[in-house]
Amino acid sequence: MLWTLALFPLLGAILLYLAGRRLGRFGLTLAAALVLLMTLVLTGLAITSGWQGSVAWSETLTLTLKLSAAGSVFALTILLVALPIVVYAGYHEVGLRDDYRTVTAQGIRLIALLVAFVGAMQLLVLANDFLTLLIAWELVGACSWSLISHKWGQKEVPQAAAQAFLVTRFGDLGLYIAAAAVFAGSGGFGYADLAALDGGLLSVAVAGILLAAAAKSAQLPFSSWLFAAMAGPVPVSALLHSATMVAAGIYLLARLQPTLSAVDWFAPLVIAIGLATALVGGVVGIFQNHAKKLLAASTSAQYGLMWVAVGAGFPGVALLHFVAHAFLKAGLFLSAGLAERQTGSYQLQDMRQGRRLPGIALATFLMSLALAGMIPLGAAWSKEQIAAAAGQQGAWLALLVALAGGLSALYASRFQLLAYGRRSHPARSILSYAPPPFRAESGAVLLMAGMTMLLSLVWWPDVQVWLSETLSISLPENSAWELIVSLVLVLLGIAVGFVMTRRQHRASVWQERVANWFGLLTVIQTIARGAVVLGHLLARFDDRVVDAGLRGTARLAQWLARRGARQGEVFAEGVPGVMTRLSEWGGYWARQAQSGQTHHYYAGISLGLVVIFAILLIGALL
Amino acid sequence: MILTVAWVVPLLGAIALAAFSRWSETRARQWAAAVAVLSLLALVVAWVGFDPAGPLFQHVDELRWVPSIGVAYRVGVDGIALAVATMSALVFVAAIVYPVDTLGQPRQYYAWMLFLQAMSLGVFLALDMLLFYVFFDLTLVGMFFLIGRWGHGTPQVSALKFFLYTFAGSLLLLLAIIGLYLSIKPHSFDMRVLIERQPLAGTGLYAGLVFLALMLGFAIKTPLVPLHTWLPQAHVDAPGPASAILAGVLLKMGTYGMIRLPFAMMQETFAEYSLVVGIAALIAILYGALVALGQSNLKRRIAYTSINHMGYTVLGIAVAAALFSDNLAARQMALTGATVEMVAHGLITGALFLICGSFWQRTGEYELDHYGGLAHQAPLLTGFTVLAAFASLGMPGLAGFVAEFQVFAGTFAVYPWLAVLGVLGILITAALFLDMLRRLFFGRLPSHLGQFAELKRAEWGVLGVLSLGILVIGVYPRFLLTLIEASNALLLGGR
Repeated sequence: MLWTLALFPLLGAILLYLAGRRLGRFGLTLAAALVLLMTLVLTGLAITSGWQGSVAWSETLTLTLKLSAAGSVFALTILLVALPIVVYAGYHEVGLRDDYRTVTAQGIRLIALLVAFVGAMQLLVLANDFLTLLIAWELVGACSWSLISHKWGQKEVPQAAAQAFLVTRFGDLGLYIAAAAVFAGSGGFGYADLAALDGGLLSVAVAGILLAAAAKSAQLPFSSWLFAAMAGPVPVSALLHSATMVAAGIYLLARLQPTLSAVDWFAPLVIAIGLATALVGGVVGIFQNHAKKLLAASTSAQYGLMWVAVGAGFPGVALLHFVAHAFLKAGLFLSAGLAERQTGSYQLQDMRQGRRLPGIALATFLMSLALAGMIPLGAAWSKEQIAAAAGQQGAWLALLVALAGGLSALYASRFQLLAYGRRSHPARSILSYAPPPFRAESGAVLLMAGMTMLLSLVWWPDVQVWLSETLSISLPENSAWELIVSLVLVLLGIAVGFVMTRRQHRASVWQERVANWFGLLTVIQTIARGAVVLGHLLARFDDRVVDAGLRGTARLAQWLARRGARQGEVFAEGVPGVMTRLSEWGGYWARQAQSGQTHHYYAGISLGLVVIFAILLIGALL
Repeated sequence: MILTVAWVVPLLGAIALAAFSRWSETRARQWAAAVAVLSLLALVVAWVGFDPAGPLFQHVDELRWVPSIGVAYRVGVDGIALAVATMSALVFVAAIVYPVDTLGQPRQYYAWMLFLQAMSLGVFLALDMLLFYVFFDLTLVGMFFLIGRWGHGTPQVSALKFFLYTFAGSLLLLLAIIGLYLSIKPHSFDMRVLIERQPLAGTGLYAGLVFLALMLGFAIKTPLVPLHTWLPQAHVDAPGPASAILAGVLLKMGTYGMIRLPFAMMQETFAEYSLVVGIAALIAILYGALVALGQSNLKRRIAYTSINHMGYTVLGIAVAAALFSDNLAARQMALTGATVEMVAHGLITGALFLICGSFWQRTGEYELDHYGGLAHQAPLLTGFTVLAAFASLGMPGLAGFVAEFQVFAGTFAVYPWLAVLGVLGILITAALFLDMLRRLFFGRLPSHLGQFAELKRAEWGVLGVLSLGILVIGVYPRFLLTLIEASNALLLGGR
């Protein structure tokens, strides 16, 4: 039964794709929303009645599903986030055909793929073994490839999609190896089998899982694929960053943390990667002027903080931060999309839509505050929890987390001020004729803001107790000084953000480089180009050298044949010829002996006798 | 009887086509399709009647032929042979139905196709080594004429190169078969006897030489690097359906032969050299993928991915042969993976080469740079190509993943390093297929492709059937795995 949670959206997506051409915009959006709603209902049922699922491919290969606590939280969050995004996409991205009633094929494909994306992600969070996980893991990657290449007509879009797919697939290889290691050690693929491993195999498996999670979660050194993913439409980015794809990495770590932490290098490595990404991503966000890329850098950074929580031994905290982040980040992306529609560009300097879209600006303000980690919003609480978790490992770690929080406050305020600030000279809007957003679009943004507001409830102690009991997670003890330091840093960040946006200056070269992950993008592109060049070299080698052996053999055979035809034939012809002549000569000579004269015969006989005697004598002597 | 029906029916069909000289193109094609489907149905019946709990070889037919030297007409299948044979019959049906320009000689074309089908199925069904060899060589004849007469570019040269190169491999194979034949008293060509008695165990150099000859012969057919250069040229000049058969069916004879002869009959010797074979397979995987990435010709690119994929199969076989490893489950998984890879690759690459044929029929051009932006113009073609490409790069939910995952999982338990390096292959294939899709279908549509036609019904019908097969194996491969694992357990001594 548990399979329905994943199969329903997957099959629903196929149906939507097939039946979509008859529908109008409203019909398509409604149908997609209904599919997701039904899945939500099914998920609720599954959680309350404890569904299970398993399908045997063969004796050793069994796909199993199970709802874990983390899985339930993810499943619900994915659906709750996806629902407004799909509605938004139905109006923001789906165009109409010439008859102004039915929707275009591209639009149908986008909506169907978004729904399928949700299905694949559902499968991922329900998986209870590495085979099922790997299936879902790669399907999510494939879905995001097809979604990012939505506008395939533009030259650079398919390239960006391929880049995103390949970088994450490189991580997937880790999961292949991890699954293989689990099988080698235990004979099965279940999550439970991972715990049975020890020594080298466990290390290999953990390393593989970490690689896969880091690539999906856009942690260093893989962070830059998220920028390539920005070639996709806004709803795709919103979904990809908040609840699917990027979320897969942290889900896996949070889910398997108790087993993974059995390896002694796991915790320090995860904390190091997460913290590095949080800090570097923060700096990247500060200098980024592309609205979506700023948010993308922030995604890496926020997931970095979740990594720190897992590394510090509090996967539950990571889970809560994931939920808070999902709603606010999806909302911010959607709102960036609205601002872009008004100005025709994602350049933050050109936006400042505060006057034009006051309602959206307010909602975005709320979510920006949450991203900044401002009390009393939910994301602020989960961030403080992460700082507290890190504090258990050492005060300096807590300080670094707080510093990362300060950086997020800086870029969050920058985003808010530039995207929805008030323009001093209102005449510079580029697309003054742009229509106001549809109600569905603004509704989606407001809904996300509402959820962000609602999550403020976590500051209330009773809610905290309830959370830790129902999800059976442990929460770290907060200390007052950490909270104060954090808050000071957040306020400082916001202040610096204000100052930075006051000054309008052109981006310098180094700023460009910092804003693009310190040239990480170039490194990855260089590696890719290197592989292509190697391929070309080997192809030439194959044609010229490997095939040359074959051609050489053919030429050798030809040479032998020619040699045979000339010298060989002459020789072969010559031997019998000479033999003939020799025997001819012998016959002639024999005929000569037959002379008819007696003395010739006597001489012959005596010569013969001498020869015979000589032979006998030699025989006797020997 | 059912197996004999499966290979004799296409042969009779071919003779009929040769005899009735008045048949029109449509008639000839319909006849050929009907005969091919009949043969496929016979194999499906054999599949349904196959008992996974039964003996290794089932549906056995035996007929005295030349008893003085131990040759007999013997056919029979285990799960591996049956799976590969059924896939082959399906690929043949697809190749025959797929529309192609027969250059005014439809009867001859379809007759050669059916002849090739009969011989190919014979290879997979034979239980007598001499019979196996005869079928193995006769497939070359069929393919030689298909490439030479209906090919394009320089078909004569390619056909000759293909024939001579692979024939050289066959000769090695013949020597090795005689070597095996002589090793057993009383002399026999019966595969079952040889598998049971393992006559060459512990005979040192003699066994080594026989093994080398067998493996070289099959490595040329598979093909393994560096014995592969006949393949791309033959593919580029062959007509689309013939390419599909070449990649989908003929290459499998190399790996199937490896399983049937050296793997089954010389377990001890194979175990000794399994690491060497595994390394050769790894080289094929990485080299094939990288060279494919470096190709700018659509068909050559796909041809080189075949080398990569057959490398996975050989890797699986090599791992399964590693007797010294006590991880029986892993070896079994590797062999299952190798067999599934054969089936999956047959369907996937068959589909890809048929698609190449469609491109050629429309434009007469294989250069990737000639194309672009076709996604809007030909959405069905785009859809099927994307599906086949993703299947080929090992996307879960499609057939290739089921195979490759098992190969890697099995390999890691025995030779971890080969698995770790081997997985890089699926990253490179992903890169090369995404690049191919981008250059064919995305970006702007060049003006000279304005008239590019969408797939016809016969084309998408065939591709639809193949895609369905790929999808079914990818989502629920139980029916296939049960069949294969039954035989694997017996071959590896697990049951």
